Formats: sequence, C-alpha cells, structure tokens
Amino acid sequence: MAKTSDRSKYLISPALLIASFIVVAYGYFALTSFFPKGPPGTQFVGTPTLDNYWRVLGSGSNQAVLFSTLGASFLISLITIAVAVPMAMVIVRAKREWVGNLIMLAIAVTFLSGGVTRAYSWLILLGNRGLINLGLTNSGIVDAPIRFLYNWSGVGISITHYLLPFAVFTLIGAVRNLNPSVEEAARSLGASRTTTFWRITMPMLLPGLMVTLVLVYSIALASFLFPMLLGGGKVRMIANQIYDRMFVEYDIPYAAATAVVFLVSAFASIWLISFVAKKIEKAVS
Amino acid sequence: METLKSSTLQLRQLTKKYNNFEAVRDLDLNVPSGSLLTLLGPSGCGKSTVLRMIAGFLNVTSGEILVDGKDISRVEPNFRDIGMVFQNYALFPHMTVESNVAFGLKMRGVAKHEQAERVRDALAMVQMTHLADRYPSQLSGGQQQRVALARAVVIKPKLLLLDEPLGALDRHLREGLQSELRDLQRQLGITSILVTHDQDEALYLSDYIAVMNGGCIEQLDTPIALYDRPQTEFVARFLGVPNIFASTVVASSSSEVTVSLGGQNIIVPTDTGKTVGSSCKISVRPSHIEVARSEDPRQGVTAVIKSAHELGERIVYHCEVADLKIEANAPRISSSERFAVGQSVKLVLDPAHTVLLRD
Repeated sequence: MAKTSDRSKYLISPALLIASFIVVAYGYFALTSFFPKGPPGTQFVGTPTLDNYWRVLGSGSNQAVLFSTLGASFLISLITIAVAVPMAMVIVRAKREWVGNLIMLAIAVTFLSGGVTRAYSWLILLGNRGLINLGLTNSGIVDAPIRFLYNWSGVGISITHYLLPFAVFTLIGAVRNLNPSVEEAARSLGASRTTTFWRITMPMLLPGLMVTLVLVYSIALASFLFPMLLGGGKVRMIANQIYDRMFVEYDIPYAAATAVVFLVSAFASIWLISFVAKKIEKAVS
Repeated sequence: METLKSSTLQLRQLTKKYNNFEAVRDLDLNVPSGSLLTLLGPSGCGKSTVLRMIAGFLNVTSGEILVDGKDISRVEPNFRDIGMVFQNYALFPHMTVESNVAFGLKMRGVAKHEQAERVRDALAMVQMTHLADRYPSQLSGGQQQRVALARAVVIKPKLLLLDEPLGALDRHLREGLQSELRDLQRQLGITSILVTHDQDEALYLSDYIAVMNGGCIEQLDTPIALYDRPQTEFVARFLGVPNIFASTVVASSSSEVTVSLGGQNIIVPTDTGKTVGSSCKISVRPSHIEVARSEDPRQGVTAVIKSAHELGERIVYHCEVADLKIEANAPRISSSERFAVGQSVKLVLDPAHTVLLRD
C-alpha cells in the first residue's frame, strides 16, 4: 500500500506544478490589490493599503455593476435552464430520432463556433436594421424597431445562447437517467401530463437541474465578450470593468481589488445557490 | 380490503404497426372477469406491446380494447382506471412509501381521512405498514414491489396489469412473492393481465395462458392443458418439450391418425384427421413416454437406449431408433426397473398426451 501511495505522489506532481503556478500568479495579482498604483511599467509601489478596496466597495456605480452582474447572471441561468430542459427532453425522447439529432447538431455547431462569430451573428440579427427587426417592421407587427442592442436584452439573449450547450449537454445525462416507467406509473394512477411533469419528472430532475444551474451561473458570471460587443459600453459586467481598469486605465491594483471582490462574491453566491438547492431537494424528497 | 366489482377485458383485432413492422397483429382475446391471464412468450413476441396498449402508453394502430364492453383505446392513460406494476418497480423516488401509495388517491381527489384509511389497508395487505415512512431507496427489491402492488390496487382499478413484476427479483424472493401475488389477486378478484417470459411463473399464477409469437396468439389455454397438450411446434418448443418428431401420416380417420415414427406405426388421437401421405409433427413430453421391455404387447416404438441418467426423482433415458432421438423419463423412486445402455426397449407413448401439432 505504501508503495502505491508513493507512486501516486509522482503521478499528481504535474498537476501540482501547474496548480502552484496558477496559485502563485493569482496570489501575486491579489497581493497587488493591497498597494497603490505605480508609475507606468511597474505593477505597484509604496506601502500596503486598503484604499483600492474602499474604491471598489465604496462607490455606488461599482456596487451596481457587481450586483447587476450577479443578478443578471442568475436570471440568465434560470432562463437558460428553462429553455434547456425541453430541449434535452426532446433530444433524449423524440420518437423520430432525426429530430433529436438535428437539435443536437444545431447546439454542437453553435458550441464549436467562436465567441466573436456568434456575437457578430447576433449583431446582424438583433440590430435596429437587423433581420429580426426588419421582419417585424415589414410584416407590420411593430411600428418602430425594438432596441435589442446596447441594453440587457441583447446581452441576455446572446449569453443565454452561449450557455445553452453547457446546460443541454449536462441535462441530457440527467434526462437519460430518468426511468420512464415512473412517469407512466403516475399517468396510470390518474395524473395528467402536466401534473406528471411538475410532480414527478421535475422533482426527479432536480439534482441535475441544480448542478446545471451552478455550472451555467459560474460561466455567466465570467461573461466578457458579449457585454462588450452587444452592450456597446452601456451594459457593463464585472469582467469588462476589470479589463478596462487593467488595459485602459493601467491601474492594476484597482483591477486586482475588483477581481478579488468579484471572486469572493462569486464563490459566496455559488455557495448560497448550492446551499438553497440542497434545502429544496430535501424539502421536495 | 373488500372484493372489487370485477371487470371484463376484450381485445378486438388489436394491431400495432411500427412503419412496416407489425408488432401485434389482429389480436383477439377475452379475459373473463376476476381471472388472471398471462401473456407468455419470448422477447419481441409483442406481449409487452399488448400490455402497454391496454395501459394507454402506446397508441393502437387499429382495433378495440373493451373494458366492460366500452372501448378505451383512445382514452388517455390517466382516465383508464388501470393499475400497473412494472418490472423495475417504478416507485416515486422522492416520496415516502405512504405518499407513493396515496398518490393515485390524491389524483382522484379522495378525501384526506379516506386516503389515510385506504393507504393503511393497502399497506397492511402487503405487510408493509411498518415501513410506511421509508423512501423507496431504503427498501429491498421485494419490498419495493410490494409497495408498487399496493399503489396499483389501492385505487381499486378495473384492471391490474403486471409487467414481469417478479423479473428483477432473485429466485428465492420470487417464489415467496409469487404465492402472495396469487393470493392477493384471488382475494381481490381483480381482473389481471400478467406479462412474462418465465413459464414456471405463468403456470403457477395464471387461470389462462396465451402463448404469443410474432404478434399473434399461438395458443390460449389453461395452464395444465397448455403444459400437457401444446398445439403448435412453437408452443411445444417454448414450453421445453424435447420430443418433437417429424413424421408422415400413414392412415387417418376422424378421431385418430396413424403416423410413422422411426419406421414403426403409432396411433395419435386427433379431432380433425389429416391427409394420408402428408408430413406432420408429433410432440410428447418425456414423462408421458413409458419405457417398457421390448416384448411388451402394447403399441409403441422399439428403440435402443443410448444413455441413462438417474436424476433425483426421475431417470432420463436417451433412446434412438433409425435417425430418431427420443427422450423418455421414468420414475426413479417408485420403480425399481432399470434399463441398461444398449438394451432394446419399447417406448409406449401415452395417447392422451401425444399431440399431433398444428401446422
């Protein structure tokens, strides 16, 4: 036994090496946040201070970006799951196999196409003179084009689209693990399709839903590209703020403090979600 | 629980097609009220398809499903009033035993106090009262299936459908639950359909057995009649009859035909007769063949013993005449007669249990 544990030490060493690099890099970045900004070309100077944190936490606009990032990510995650559940169900259970395959293919294609391509596609679709608005105005459904771009709706749509493959792929496993007989049993005992879905299928899917929620929420939190391109500077999420502070203002300590605050609140909110999820699962079972 | 008002079930030309494949073809079946009928057959014979159509989980392509004379083939499963027990138990994993059993009553809007009472009775019936607060994952397979049974009958359904209910249990448990299931079904008098591929289970539990093959019923009979007199080669083979002989008709009357077996003539009873010279098949169980001395005066087939094995209660003789291999069983305990390998014997086929198989 001693021998095998010795060997496992060697096997894990590459992972440890990489992990230590990351920890050191992050640690150094975090350390930066406790110092004043240095002259151009340096990271930081002077004596330790908490000033950067006061700047992050004290300003109303900073708080607003933080909370809107957390709130919007959560809302977008919920919407994503609401869309992904029926998709996963159809993929797994469609009687005609090609229907499932087609949806699967569509998701895989979007999954594999790059972020910039997708953001650009959404610009074409959602612009004031974009395909959707042209269709709506020409058919007379709306008089003036709906503004999708440079507000949360466009950003939300594109992030949802980005998250969808993650959610669907995760949920396919959960749906596949459902035992159809259990739903049939409910039906034969007198439950309608709707009742069966809400009282039997969803509770059985709940653990899978919670895992998916945490996954897509953490991905949504880190959104950078879509708010930048479709938000046009008007919609700002935290990653954009950090980017600006680093590469526009060159205030690395300020960026680092923002990142640390974000990281802590992200972990806290994910923990909160898992905690509530466990409570709900207990309450339902 | 009191006895239910039993319903009848009739299937009329029931058909299920998938693209070009007919899973069930023009099936007609009458299940008398209060009886247990088994659909027996190998996998892919269409037995589960029939059951799932009765339950309403599969649409019928054509035909009727009559319960008490009313066609339910287009009715949604939740309005059919049918209790179903599945092979994999299919209990609601997020509900206690009690809530599982109460589910059907809740869906029917039964008053709370009556719910509690009926759930208690149903759980008592399957001896699960002490585990009412448990979750399905905390129960053994046998216990889960008892709960599933209680859940199915507590709604007093018109029909009880059992889809290989004992298939997932080990043998010891299966036998115990078999007799319980049978007692419960008799006691409630509930019209039931059982699907299984296990012939012993079918013979033990059923009032009637329908052997299915290729989407059709090959033979519908009582268990004993089916066991003793299988009517087709498929049924005989499925029920494990080793002696199925190809033969030719030598003479025929309205009550019996004479066939040639290993060059010797044998008389087999029949109610139809058969064209002289036509080929036919004969089936007879080894226990219905008596091994006698070669000088025995009765009609029979003279053959040579190729092997003899004493197995528990019986002696298994493998005999041969011409190219014909015949297995015969003799009682080991009540008889001291032994025949040696190489000895010539006369095999006397019991006419009542020798069957001229239908083509």
